[in-house]
Amino acid sequence: MNTNGQPVLEAHDLTKTFHTRKEKIEAVRGIDMEIWPGEIFGFLGPNGAGKTTTLRMLSTLLPIESGRAMVSGFDVYKSPHQVRQRIGYVSQLGGSDRLATGREDLLLQGELYGMGRREAEQRADELIEVLDLAEFASRRVQSYSGGQRRRLDIALGIMHRPDVLFLDEPTTGLDPQNRANLWVQISKLREAGTTIFLTTHYLEEADALSNRLAIMDHGQLVAEGTSRQLKQQIAADSVVVSLQEDGAGSEGAMRLLQEQDFVREVSAEPDHLRLYVDDGVTALPRILRLLDRNGMAIKTVTLSEPTLDDVFLRYTGRSLRDAGHPLD
Amino acid sequence: MKTLRDIALLYRRSFVQTFRVPVWLAISFSTPLLYLALFTPLLKSLPGGSEFPPGVNVLEIFLPGILALMAFMSGASAGFSTIFELQAGYTERIRVTPASRLALLIGPILSSLTWTFFFMTMIVVVAEPFGFPIHIAGLLIAYVLLALLMVLFASFSIAVALLTKEINSFAAVVNGINLPLLLLAGILLPLELGPAWMRVIGHFNPLYYVVEADRLLAAGHLWNTTIVEGFLVMVPLTALAVVWATRVYRRAVS
Ligand SMILES: Nc1ncnc2c1ncn2[C@@H]1O[C@H](COP(=O)(O)OP(=O)(O)O)[C@@H](O)[C@H]1O
Ligand SMILES: [Mg+2]
Repeated sequence: MNTNGQPVLEAHDLTKTFHTRKEKIEAVRGIDMEIWPGEIFGFLGPNGAGKTTTLRMLSTLLPIESGRAMVSGFDVYKSPHQVRQRIGYVSQLGGSDRLATGREDLLLQGELYGMGRREAEQRADELIEVLDLAEFASRRVQSYSGGQRRRLDIALGIMHRPDVLFLDEPTTGLDPQNRANLWVQISKLREAGTTIFLTTHYLEEADALSNRLAIMDHGQLVAEGTSRQLKQQIAADSVVVSLQEDGAGSEGAMRLLQEQDFVREVSAEPDHLRLYVDDGVTALPRILRLLDRNGMAIKTVTLSEPTLDDVFLRYTGRSLRDAGHPLD
Repeated sequence: MKTLRDIALLYRRSFVQTFRVPVWLAISFSTPLLYLALFTPLLKSLPGGSEFPPGVNVLEIFLPGILALMAFMSGASAGFSTIFELQAGYTERIRVTPASRLALLIGPILSSLTWTFFFMTMIVVVAEPFGFPIHIAGLLIAYVLLALLMVLFASFSIAVALLTKEINSFAAVVNGINLPLLLLAGILLPLELGPAWMRVIGHFNPLYYVVEADRLLAAGHLWNTTIVEGFLVMVPLTALAVVWATRVYRRAVS
């Protein structure tokens, strides 16, 4: 573990361009980032943003084209061997060995990282306990459910106690229950001091797990900070109002609301109006009073604080919910 | 040494896992048996049977060919597991570990080689009562030559798998190369039975040298130019293939 206040991972101006027969794909276009010991750093972005490509460059799988990356003080390009010894990587696909049992697979992993048999056995048993694998660790991986396999994949990634663990879309393809379970497991790892770099295209996941996150779009990081900082930059709450009668009534209401100086912006969505206001708590009664006084009956009204989706929308002009396909 | 230890670890993984696919074991053994059982009778009643030297059992010509075929096929099909491992993410996982790149390649190959040796020996033992004379020393040297053959084509096959990454292109490349190599090696019947042009083309086929040397070795000859030629062709080619495939493992498999 790094304790001298150095980042575990640093990247400067990382780029990667893929050349296919037909086109040139600039998958990663100049990324700068730092990850500090003990934190969970998240990359949030739609499919195709370049998250996996970044991770594969940082984990020595893909040659770095330009820019520089350091892990625990070792240059990823010049000292891949030292870097491999210090990172764990769990790809989108997983990587567990279908014909092996979970335990055998953990032992192989430990031994490939240079552990002796005894040491590997101890560590495997420890992880079987921590990640709750006991029930199936002596069965072949072939027979695991998606959630069980994911837990084994993560155990494989931290078998050698890496300085930083890379998790690429750890919960993609899992049902909500297994996703929630995995979030608990990942939070436990953080509490145990594991430094994690994860990517996701789920807002809730980035929000729930990461201490700090960056929003990635089209190969670039468009914003970075804690989830709270990012939301505060939006500095607006949103109020959603739906009226008893739509059409003419809502047009009148829209015009009326736009004239108010505490309302920053109003947009008409299919069956409601969305207002951005500086402070939702003081704005709400004023909106209610205003509409009431003008004889516009309200059906429902909701007040919400900004979400990461609002942040994403602000920086990319699109909503993350429809930016990519939810599952690949 | 780290590399040797990694080879041993990955060898053990592959070796143990072979037992877990009993169908594979059954087919690997029954295929050469079928060749022996269903092909040899055809040879015996071949109208041009006079081409074979008098007093020579057909098995003496045919069985060394089957052994070479087994080594060749076991090598050429090595890439199929690689494709599955790539698609399961196993290859990336293993490439992120500090394991030696040579070990990633050679560990599993040596495990298949062990199995191939085992099946070859079974075939020889089965054929003996039917008149195949066993010359131990010659067979042992033939095994070394066939091991080179197996490692050469396994390395090639795995490298092609890593580069093509999916089953269709991989199968197309490997099959496209296998068939002409097999037909022009005289693996089932000696090329000497064919027209001169076949023999000429055969000289550009590494497999041809192996098969020629292999027949002589199995017949108990231990030293002659054909055998030396076999090794002179195979040693550098195999070394080249191993170096190339290791490089593919080391470089981008993107
Ligand atoms: N090996 C490759 N060859 C060509 N293009 C690639 C390759 N890998 C990724 N890409 C392209 O690079 C872009 C970024 O991909 P990726 O890093 O996988 O995104 P993400 O993980 O954020 O979904 C995509 O447009 C993708 O099609
Ligand atoms: Mg991805």
